[in-house]
Amino acid sequence: MRYDSARLAGSSPAVTLRRRAEFDGDFFLLVLLLLGIGVLMVFSASFPRAYYDPSGVTGGRAWYYFVRQLIYALLGLGLLLLCARLPMGFYRRWAFPFLGLTLVLLALVPLIGVKANGSRRWLGVGSLTVQPSELAKLAVILCFSAMICRYREQMRSFRRGILPFLGILAAIVGLLVLEPHFSASVIILALGGCMLFLGGAGLGWFAAALGGLGGGLFVLLTFFPYASSRINTWRDPFSSPSSEGYQIVQSLYAIGSGGLTGLGLGAGRQKYLYLPEEHNDFIFSVVCEELGFLGAALILLLFALLILRGYRIALGCEDRFAFLVCAGITTLLALQVFLNVAVVTNLLPCTGISLPFFSYGGTALLIQMGEMGIVLSASRERKERE
Amino acid sequence: MRKQHKFSVPEASGPNRQMLRRTLLLMAVCGAAAFALLLARLYKLQILDHELYEQKALEQQLRQAPTAPARGDICDCRGRPLALSASVDNVYLSPAEIRQYGEDRELIARELSRILELDYEDLLEKTGQTGSWYVTVARKVERETADEIRAFKNAYGIRGVRLEPDSKRYYPNGSLACHLIGFVGMDNTGLEGVEAQYDSALRGSPGKSLRSTNAYGTELLFESFEDYVPGEDGCSATLTIDAAVQYMIEKHLRQALADYDIQNGAGAICMDVNTGAILAMVSLDGYDLNAFLDVSDEVRARMAAAETEEEAQEILDAARARQWRNKALSDTYEPGSTFKIITLAMALEEGVVDEHSSFYCGGSVSVKGRTSPIRCWKSGGHGSQDLTQAVQHSCNAAFVNIGLRVGPKRFYDYCEAFGLLKRTGDPDENLSARTGIDLAGESGSIWWSENVFCSERNQSQLAAASFGQTFTVTPLQLITAVSCCVNGGRLMQPYVVQSLRAPDGTLRYEHEPVVVRQVLRPETSARVRRILEQVVGDPKEGTGRNAAVAGYRIGGKTGTSEKVSLEARTGQKEYIVSFIGFAPADDPQIALLVFLDTPSDRSGIYISGGQMAAPVVGNMLADILPYLGYEPELSEEERGSAVPKLEGKELTEAAALLQKEGLRLRTVGEGEIIRAQLPPAGRRVDKDSQVIVYLGTEAPTAPQTVPDLSGLNPEQARELLESRGLFLHTRSPLADAESKIGYQSVKAGTLLSPGAVITVTLISTDDSILGRY
Repeated sequence: MRYDSARLAGSSPAVTLRRRAEFDGDFFLLVLLLLGIGVLMVFSASFPRAYYDPSGVTGGRAWYYFVRQLIYALLGLGLLLLCARLPMGFYRRWAFPFLGLTLVLLALVPLIGVKANGSRRWLGVGSLTVQPSELAKLAVILCFSAMICRYREQMRSFRRGILPFLGILAAIVGLLVLEPHFSASVIILALGGCMLFLGGAGLGWFAAALGGLGGGLFVLLTFFPYASSRINTWRDPFSSPSSEGYQIVQSLYAIGSGGLTGLGLGAGRQKYLYLPEEHNDFIFSVVCEELGFLGAALILLLFALLILRGYRIALGCEDRFAFLVCAGITTLLALQVFLNVAVVTNLLPCTGISLPFFSYGGTALLIQMGEMGIVLSASRERKERE
Repeated sequence: MRKQHKFSVPEASGPNRQMLRRTLLLMAVCGAAAFALLLARLYKLQILDHELYEQKALEQQLRQAPTAPARGDICDCRGRPLALSASVDNVYLSPAEIRQYGEDRELIARELSRILELDYEDLLEKTGQTGSWYVTVARKVERETADEIRAFKNAYGIRGVRLEPDSKRYYPNGSLACHLIGFVGMDNTGLEGVEAQYDSALRGSPGKSLRSTNAYGTELLFESFEDYVPGEDGCSATLTIDAAVQYMIEKHLRQALADYDIQNGAGAICMDVNTGAILAMVSLDGYDLNAFLDVSDEVRARMAAAETEEEAQEILDAARARQWRNKALSDTYEPGSTFKIITLAMALEEGVVDEHSSFYCGGSVSVKGRTSPIRCWKSGGHGSQDLTQAVQHSCNAAFVNIGLRVGPKRFYDYCEAFGLLKRTGDPDENLSARTGIDLAGESGSIWWSENVFCSERNQSQLAAASFGQTFTVTPLQLITAVSCCVNGGRLMQPYVVQSLRAPDGTLRYEHEPVVVRQVLRPETSARVRRILEQVVGDPKEGTGRNAAVAGYRIGGKTGTSEKVSLEARTGQKEYIVSFIGFAPADDPQIALLVFLDTPSDRSGIYISGGQMAAPVVGNMLADILPYLGYEPELSEEERGSAVPKLEGKELTEAAALLQKEGLRLRTVGEGEIIRAQLPPAGRRVDKDSQVIVYLGTEAPTAPQTVPDLSGLNPEQARELLESRGLFLHTRSPLADAESKIGYQSVKAGTLLSPGAVITVTLISTDDSILGRY
């Protein structure tokens, strides 16, 4: 349908904002499908590690990770439905308090966070842990959307259209660097950039940002050996197949041995403690190994459909805030999927980015489901002819 | 009118046109372009490079489980086992699983230490290496012990103790034919001898039990991929070796080692002259194949005395290398006078000499290119001799003459034809050759280059080569060439493996004798045989007479080679004494070469092939020929007398019977009827021996000590033995006054019942035979 945004901006009495009873069914169906496949794949990928239990967590119970993921998936489904019920105005109202809470949590992480693999990224409450960086992504989407709506025509100015946004990004990324959490920083910067792009910031700023990014990368690679060794591993993982390159080499073995049709669900072999993080960041390698090119392509197609549907919902939104949030969440989803698959296939240097709906991780899944719920909520706020 | 939601925001407005444009752009990038990129990448990895990655992944995921095929047996030509394989188990721990299943470490350590007799503390420590899935506890554990461990595992449901099948090699004859058979390492790979040479056939094809494993090397859970490619057990090998012949030769060679105080080991080869089959090959000192790493007490004492650990290790390594070295195959030496057979054969074949040729030996002979004349071993010279006498005397002067008549070029050609050297096309290159026997470790000969050997101005190489000096060959090369000289002129390729059979009995390989080339005409070969038989068979002039065996026609040649290079280096005179014989001389079947490396003069026996090696060969042939089924044709004298049955007969009757056999009578006790006799009826003893009969009393039974007979003449020996109720049977055709006993069938000091017969062989100690030839 075609509509005139100028007329909408004038709150024409011909079209009023109202919430429909049902949300977008196609989107919901795609989410359910991906979630179902994801949970199944967590089981397939995780049972060897859970059974052999090299880290002594699972007590040899092969179901350990699966059961937890299943519980979180069900909780996530509930959260999704709840979020889908809440009106968009609610999210707009709570956007800034949410940002504040996120910043506090981010600030706490370097102080009292749980340390793993040399970084503090989690906040632990008993056995429940949460990555505040996941919350930060949603906070950026909500706040930027609200700010873009507020500044409206001032988005082209530096003082209004760039500076406040940069301030928020700087605060978040600054705290992430303390953890350090490189991959989350990249995603949040990219996400912020996309939000500003959608919001109408001048294209010149993006050119400048890209230039700055290039310079920053150069500095990073020159002065931080940690980052430059990652680049070397990326360019030739087989030069160190048993040390730095081990993970990506094992991932390539898994993906490559899948072939066209794969080894069959559950029949993968790389998950038998060869491939690290096999139920986590590298779960897509197991998918490729077990389901083959056809299965992997099908799952990517589902993701693509979900993303296209998300943008489609955004485009149908009457409300600018809803539109921005919807497009933002969809972009975030696309970024995560792309970066994850690009990393496991060694298109990009190895860094820890989880695959939505697939990677094991309770709170991340909950937040993702919540985000999907928000998209569904937005899908209810579409224009409706009187 | 619908109810406005309380959160709806009044200034709400939709996205503007720019936003929509930019959204469409994002949509294209994030929803389509990015996925196209990912799909392209997956296509590259999963479809285009699929095989590469699959291969690499399988390499790490699949373990080839140790399903070692049973190694084939090795047996001798009559089917007697020489090497056998038995199933054993390797025992290992999986400490990670011990931890995982919470198994009792102390129980495991205690039980294993009891069953395997290992240190408890050490085992307990191993069970605690929980990072590992494979810790070896014991290798090649016998079946019964492994069963005990299995019982323990089952009784307690232990999973952390594992067994894996392996095989172990047994050599039932210990050190017999050790160098030929060889041994296998811990991984069942043949390391020496036939075990090494035929390793691939004996080992079989390993059963490929492909098993997918996790990164720790243990089984997968459910989707375990298993592919069992059944291996084939190894073929069994039948050797040309006859264990009995091998044993006889080893026995006499060991005796020689002790008798002559040999410093540097000894070797012997027995070959079927018509096929090239090796019946026996001995190298001493040997070692026990079941403990091939063990060294002698003497070596261990030297190791203990070593100052540093490295020094001790060096001593150990050197001792092992030495005991593993097959002298008959790997040592090269200057053959000396035994080589005169080759010179003789080529001279006869070329017609430059015949049986009527005459040679004069004045004790030395001048050769162009040499400042000093070549001296014959007999400084006074042999005077005028015909060809047979020249060979019988092993006259160096005559052979220099014969060699010069052949000429360097033809001499060199024949040496090549006999397989002693091989031309490469470069006349300035020192040459070498091998027989190509199917055994690892064969050395090659070393010869002067063609240009040096064939020099017109300097004939000293040719002259010395004519009597077997200034070049080296292996003992195997020499016996192969000599076999050719006596078998009708065919050079045979020597071999030790007769056949290989698959486990189901089907023949996989059967050796057909390989004729390398016809070197001599059969007539020439027959003439060589006739002349060589005179070397052994002539008790007056033959320098090989000590190799003679009563009742057999034996040909052969002695050799005493100086280690010239050693003398040049150190001034020390050392010798290798040797003898090569063949039998029967008229229709040769076997050839036998014995060489003794560095006898010492402490033995009291004159150092020469004729005095040392020849009797050894004679003793060996005396055992081997009857065993191989050749009946001796004995003269009346040699046959001795068979003792008649006298018990129960009257004294007068007995006296008549004994007189008929040429035996004398001695009575013990009073009476007319004979109650007992020594020796028992049917025994063969020398004529003129004194049989003892007991009248009215039983024969004594107290065991008697065998005296040392060496150096005595037969009469003295007979009297000495008879004084103890023992008897003598001489088995040598030698009968001159200088013949002394060189070998007795029962060692001095042995206890024997009265009436036992000692067989002896004689060696001639005539002055005319004492010389380095």
